[in-house]
Amino acid sequence: MPKSSRRKPASGLEALQRAITGALMKPLNADESMTLANRTVAEKFIRPNDRLTAFERLQIYNQQYWWRLLGALAEDFRGLRAVLGERKFDRLANAYLEAHPSTSWTLRNIGSKLTAFIEANPKLTHPRSALAIDVARVEWARVLAFDEPSQKIISPEKMARTAPERLRLALQPYIVLLELSHPVDDFMSKLKRAEFSALSNAVSSSEKKRARTFAVRRSRKPVFLTVHRVDNSVYFKRHDPEAHALLLALRGGATLGAACETAFTGSKDSPGKCVAKIREWFSRWAEFGWFCEPPRK
Amino acid sequence: MPANRFNAFTDYGIGIGLRIPHYDHIMERKPVVDWFEIISENYMVDGGRPLAALDRILEQYRVVQHGVSMYFGNAARPNREHLKKLKALTKRTQTPWLSDHLCWGSVDGHYTHDLLPMPYTREAVEWTARNIREVQDTLGIPVAVENVSSYAEFHASEMTEWEFLNEVVERADCGILLDVNNIYVSSKNHGFDPYEYLAAVPAHRVAQIHIAGHTKFKKYLLDTHDHPVLDPVWKLYAHAIRRAGRTATLLEWDDRIPSFDEVHTEALKANRHLPHAEILAA
Repeated sequence: MPKSSRRKPASGLEALQRAITGALMKPLNADESMTLANRTVAEKFIRPNDRLTAFERLQIYNQQYWWRLLGALAEDFRGLRAVLGERKFDRLANAYLEAHPSTSWTLRNIGSKLTAFIEANPKLTHPRSALAIDVARVEWARVLAFDEPSQKIISPEKMARTAPERLRLALQPYIVLLELSHPVDDFMSKLKRAEFSALSNAVSSSEKKRARTFAVRRSRKPVFLTVHRVDNSVYFKRHDPEAHALLLALRGGATLGAACETAFTGSKDSPGKCVAKIREWFSRWAEFGWFCEPPRK
Repeated sequence: MPANRFNAFTDYGIGIGLRIPHYDHIMERKPVVDWFEIISENYMVDGGRPLAALDRILEQYRVVQHGVSMYFGNAARPNREHLKKLKALTKRTQTPWLSDHLCWGSVDGHYTHDLLPMPYTREAVEWTARNIREVQDTLGIPVAVENVSSYAEFHASEMTEWEFLNEVVERADCGILLDVNNIYVSSKNHGFDPYEYLAAVPAHRVAQIHIAGHTKFKKYLLDTHDHPVLDPVWKLYAHAIRRAGRTATLLEWDDRIPSFDEVHTEALKANRHLPHAEILAA
């Protein structure tokens, strides 16, 4: 009986599965037919019937593989698709999936390496690479914010009775802190409205819709964005640079006192104003349930 | 026959697949549904809306888990991390039994996210039965394996699909989730008699039945789950019920999903075939 797939020499089953998987993961031709490079594998392993050749039978699976994965990626990265346009997005998605086949049992993780891939392959998104990176980061953050775990919220009493120099707060695992060069949150809202409008105006030409790409101007100042969830819905929240620095420091393990100091280093605000800001932020963040106990070491 | 050790001696009736477009309807109207089948992988997450929605469903309804990525037929052991998450979900749902497919789908940690057909070989029987036993032992609940729709056959096959299914379930000592639509689709694609398939299935191991719609292309049928159940599949279902007796039945509708009421009405058509089974079984 087989015990391990690694130590034994390749069995017939293993060899078949490896060869078929390799064939399925070969990209489709431009007309969505299967590459002729798969002919040998098809004929070696697959039996033809009276209607389909071995090649055509394998092609059904090859097409299903790509359509399923491309569809999942397009669903999770609708914003990226909108800024790149359908054709360029498809080229990017094909190249990405060829370089990074799924390594997870769930399609939820299919886009986990997309941002890094865009960064490493700027030609694929030129001349909108910086925007593409920002949008991909936000869209992946949205995936995380949707279903990453939440921890027990730290009680206001505990926060109040612990001195800031000793108080360490963890951020909920589903929170993602981003520094962007484009106002992607505004763009995502605009896109949502446009999608809704497209749904309500079904008479408009689908060709026109496909051709449309969205322009998003680079922001003059960095955009500090937190992607989070409230009542199981995902939201974006913009922050001042100081608030963003404070949250980053807390996530990095700093005490509340040290995080506040980091956040306001070099600030022109008066101490009183700094305190007022911190109070206001914490009141809002606590309302969102963003703070939890740091994991025990 | 209906309540057997492969469905934990339950007596479930007609259920439907729990799908996101129906959440609001179910939460607000609380329709009478005997049970829901969930896709396990959709809820094997650590937080957020999927689990919150599932918990609300569990307050009102019985749920059975159905998986799409355990890949019993892989030439490798089951993914332990996957199994751990799956087990945690079974504790949450209290699913009486659990199903996944008689197929393979990943190699060396690379996932196809498809239900790929098995070569019907003795070696594949060994691997598959071994993997099912490992999953069943780990989870501690009965496991049923579902026959898949297929579009290709392998030169390496040494037996028919139903012979392969029988060998696997005997060696694994597990149940069968009999998908009559898949039998029909594969019978057309490969030119076998679906009734010969049904006749060969060990009826005492049938834990559950799936029904669904499919799409006809020029040269083959595709299992699309985007249509009502077609007449030849209903006929096959009636025959399966005559053989297996009243069995938990589930309508799958996964694409171009219509209203909840439309899906539920389609599923309840299965009732037309169930009383007859009772008479025969008596």
